[in-house]
Amino acid sequence: MIGTLVLKDLKLFFRNQFFAVITGLTLVMFTAIYFLIPNEVNNSLGLAFYIENPDVTVFDELITEEAEADNLQLFDSEEAMLAALEESGDLLVGLTITEAAALASMNGEPAEFQAYYAPGIPAEAKEMFADTLELIANATNPTVASNLKRMNQTEIVLGNDILGTPISFRERFLPMLLLFIMTVEVLGLATLIAREIESGTARALVTSPLRLHHFFTSKALMGMGLAFGQVLLIVLVTGTITTSPILLLTTLLLGTLLIVGLGFFVAAISPDATSVTAWGAFVLIFMTIPAITVMLPGLASGWMEIVPSFYFVDALHQILNFNAGWADVGQNLLLLFVTSVGLLGIGTAVLRRRF
Amino acid sequence: MANAISVNNLSFSYGDNLAVDNISFDVGEGEVLGFLGPNGAGKSTTVKMLTGQLTPSTGTAVLLGMDIVKQRKQVQSQIGISFENTNLYEQMSAIENLDLFAKLYKVPNFNATDLLQKVGLGGREKEPVSGYSKGMKQRLMLARALVSNPKILFLDEPTDGLDPVSSQTIQALIQEAVKNGTTIFLTTHDMVEADKLSNRVAFINQGQIVALDKPSALKQQYGQRALKVEIELANGETEVREVNLDDGQTAQNVFELFKNEKIITVHSEEATLEDIFIEITGRGLQG
Repeated sequence: MIGTLVLKDLKLFFRNQFFAVITGLTLVMFTAIYFLIPNEVNNSLGLAFYIENPDVTVFDELITEEAEADNLQLFDSEEAMLAALEESGDLLVGLTITEAAALASMNGEPAEFQAYYAPGIPAEAKEMFADTLELIANATNPTVASNLKRMNQTEIVLGNDILGTPISFRERFLPMLLLFIMTVEVLGLATLIAREIESGTARALVTSPLRLHHFFTSKALMGMGLAFGQVLLIVLVTGTITTSPILLLTTLLLGTLLIVGLGFFVAAISPDATSVTAWGAFVLIFMTIPAITVMLPGLASGWMEIVPSFYFVDALHQILNFNAGWADVGQNLLLLFVTSVGLLGIGTAVLRRRF
Repeated sequence: MANAISVNNLSFSYGDNLAVDNISFDVGEGEVLGFLGPNGAGKSTTVKMLTGQLTPSTGTAVLLGMDIVKQRKQVQSQIGISFENTNLYEQMSAIENLDLFAKLYKVPNFNATDLLQKVGLGGREKEPVSGYSKGMKQRLMLARALVSNPKILFLDEPTDGLDPVSSQTIQALIQEAVKNGTTIFLTTHDMVEADKLSNRVAFINQGQIVALDKPSALKQQYGQRALKVEIELANGETEVREVNLDDGQTAQNVFELFKNEKIITVHSEEATLEDIFIEITGRGLQG
């Protein structure tokens, strides 16, 4: 009976042009975006300098040495520096060193420097530049410089040392892509269930020899199959299936359980297909938020851990980008499983009331 | 005749609203029971309890010797239901709709085409149901209810809103099912249809069964037989006079009429089920 219902649902799903097209488009579009996103990492901080009078400062000596590294550029005029700062995507910070500022700095007096920032520069980069500038300014003062003490540093990297092999934006994007593709199926599954209830076909089914748990099981399998099929396709196309395949597939499978739980819940609280779209969109946005912390780590916030998809996307991020093993993501997977089963239970209980 | 359905003191409440109030009745095997009542009288709630969609607040319903609450799935595997509102898979064809339910009922060697031919949908069985007219959908609903060759058939307003031709087709199918020994529980507010198809009719009003008998017996008990005589007056206009057939002076009254007046037409008249329902409950079936 369950097989009969799943086949029927598959037939209906692909005859619903809206969902068939949305599913196909989502897959193609996100795969294309994945491959369009650069796979290289550029961590250089381009700096631009204009020094009013090079004769009265040692700044130019410091800068000239570093300029060879290509991320420092010295300009002949402030106008040229500002134009380059606005137009070039490589330069992020510009600094004008007036003659007065250079003299004051060398004499150990308070100095005024004018800094210019390219639009969109992160706050962390601004802070880092200000600290570096203060250090350089003090270093030009012989009195301060003579008092600087050498520091011995020992480096210990906890976990995988990815220095030299930083994670590209494409790699950071993949967990979000997988989550998003699966979450779209919340809409598909919830619509399928809501339509069955709204049109009365569910009533025709449950007044036949079919039992209600057959109905729920078939819908759960359908939802899991649709979501899992698509993400499986993505990890195959992107070649990431080779990264701890069993662990990766287990994580994806647990993720589909979460999707089914959400789909049941959305279907239960939506009186019709229109409401499913509204609630589904809300769920889609809410569940995608934790993925942003993977893509943009600076935005990570503790409250995101209450969103069930956090454990899914964080586990994926660790498996795909840090080669994490079962022990590393075990807690995430356990929490994901518990949350998914809980949601599935609540969703089923609420949905049962509609029969 | 053994009972296919036995209902004892069945009640159901939606919160504080008592929808079905302590009803009891039996339906014999192969019998057609017309369940008549206006909207909100408790017809659909009764059907839902008898088909296992609702659990009764009190009382019992035994179908084919099985308690509907305790053996719901066993009962459901032997009944067919044609719902009031169309609930078909519109994106699937008629054949796919029937095949799906044949698999759920585990009907061996099911031939959907034959059944569709019988309900007059032959030739269009592979088209999506969404393109069907209301009458075609209703016929398909009946075909779906017949897929498992059920022992009891529940028909909820099977001809509601249909054209006369579609109605006749459906009525003929019901009569054929009866010939094959199927028990029919017919819910309707169409008294003509109920009169035509039912062996007995039950009137339900405000959740209670207020009358239950053969249509002819109800007419005899509550109705009045009369002759309607149309006469032409001296000024050329016409007038209808009624002669009571049960008052003991019928012959004299008819004789006087024929002797003194110019008769145009004569019709015998008996009470309709709706007349009787109004007489018993004080309200119409449409209300």
